[in-house]
Amino acid sequence: MEVKQEIVKPVSYRSQYKKSKRNNRELKFIILSLTPILLLFVVFMVIPIIWGIILSFYQYDPLADHSPFIALKNYTELWKDPVFLASLKATLIFVFVAVPANILITLPIASMINRVRNRFVRNTFRTLFFLPAIAPLSAASLIWSTMLRSGNDGLFNMILAFFGHANVGWLTDGKMAMISVIIVTLWADVAYNIIIFMAGLDAIPKVFYEAAELDGANGFQKFRHITLPLLQRTSLFILIMTVISYFQMFAQFQIMTKGGPGGATNVLSLSIYKTAFGYSRMGYASAMATVLLLIILLISLIQLRVGRSQWEY
Amino acid sequence: MRRGKKISFPYILMITFLTIASFIMIIPYLWMVLSSLKGNLEIISSTSILPHKVTFEGYKTVFQDAPFVRWLFNSLFTATLITVATVFSSALSGYIFAKFRFAGKQMIFLVVIATMMIPPQILMIPTYLIIYKLGLIDNLSAVILPSLVSAFGVFLARQAIEELPYDLIESARIDGAGEFFIFNRIILPLVRPMLSALAIFTFMAAWNNYVWPLIVLNDEEKMTLPLALVFFNGSHVTNYNIVMSASVLIMIPVFIVFLIFQKQFVKGLALTGFK
Repeated sequence: MEVKQEIVKPVSYRSQYKKSKRNNRELKFIILSLTPILLLFVVFMVIPIIWGIILSFYQYDPLADHSPFIALKNYTELWKDPVFLASLKATLIFVFVAVPANILITLPIASMINRVRNRFVRNTFRTLFFLPAIAPLSAASLIWSTMLRSGNDGLFNMILAFFGHANVGWLTDGKMAMISVIIVTLWADVAYNIIIFMAGLDAIPKVFYEAAELDGANGFQKFRHITLPLLQRTSLFILIMTVISYFQMFAQFQIMTKGGPGGATNVLSLSIYKTAFGYSRMGYASAMATVLLLIILLISLIQLRVGRSQWEY
Repeated sequence: MRRGKKISFPYILMITFLTIASFIMIIPYLWMVLSSLKGNLEIISSTSILPHKVTFEGYKTVFQDAPFVRWLFNSLFTATLITVATVFSSALSGYIFAKFRFAGKQMIFLVVIATMMIPPQILMIPTYLIIYKLGLIDNLSAVILPSLVSAFGVFLARQAIEELPYDLIESARIDGAGEFFIFNRIILPLVRPMLSALAIFTFMAAWNNYVWPLIVLNDEEKMTLPLALVFFNGSHVTNYNIVMSASVLIMIPVFIVFLIFQKQFVKGLALTGFK
């Protein structure tokens, strides 16, 4: 103990001695490096958030000479606007169908890939399931649009024809369009959750399974009583992240259906884009974006609340 | 690896299921490649998946009728610049937030992190107006500027750098090393795995970005690949072999990046859950 103190003392004395000079140097470093970075954050993050919310109280049109302050009128108009209400409905349908479907696909596949014993085969499966995720969503949407063509030349209708079924208007039929976009979204997006689920499954201590095996538990029982409860944190994380990202999906809707037919797939993000850049109604679009922001903040708050009460293993 | 375990029937069933499912996952890619090899006439008339007569007409048209090389350059240029800047700015600010003390640090860090929760839709309109006022519409810097920093990158870098022992920095200082030297020669090499994961995510996100270029770029010559692809599709609706050929070409660089860095990619994703 005494020896240790003797060694420590001169060092701390030395650093004490140099402190003022060093502090100066450190401060210079901090200011020099952080200023440009923070400036970018302020200009492209902080100001746009504040400005976006402020814009929602104006009847702002970049082409008009005058943009009056109209307080909450954009918001009161929103709740009477059938286009907005339809797009809110389309968004909710999309999120509430696509997110559970995503989890129902990704969790079993992740646990199956995790159970593959040969490492090379396991890695190959993981890569194959990951391949769709690396395609640019715009390219994926185009490829799928041709597969979902309503004539004889689309892959889906070719398959239906093979079974003697009549052509289906995958993207032109009001009911089918949303289903089609959901299929494309799932194809493009399941990889991420498969990887995260696989990591979560890896983190479950193997002894639990060995103990259950000794007790004679079968595969389903092990899944139900060990995997599911111990995977709660991962699942919650995946659920929240997927919900948040699905509320913001854009490219596949804009490219595949343009919101049609009859507004069936006109989700919020597409509606905001069209209102702002198609009709130049930027104040009104900002009000719609603010509603989306509030929805997402609410989900994030729920995550923080639930996440804190979760236990660790 | 447990060798004693017998290959049971459910195991074979599982492998079969995974094989079929992973085949279904790559069908769109097969469709894309096969369609790109079909001729114009065949696309309209045929109802077969396989091309009757393989032709490279589509690829030829992409290079002849479209400024494809220009688009490729635009994409490579913007994605590379964004990646280098994001990795550097994230590491530098992550280092400062992790290892230095100064007034207001916690507050500033919290504000930076809070921006992660903001949906891009609310930023889209004001950022467009800022870019417009800067006179940068239809300029590649409109794509680059808002992406030079990343809140997620800062968060990730701070997490990784916080774990490094403080003695390392202290002893370098006693040896007389400058602050930038310490960052460059000591900190950066130690967090390389984290930085390469961040680099891959950033590159892929920038390469695949569609919404923002759609808003700020109108001129055909200025477009990045994903945007150009969709724009191009509008003018070639009937002969999609051209669009499919262009899709194959845009996919190749991403495939290469992914196959080289697959390990870091999967590891980074598993660690962070970042998309």
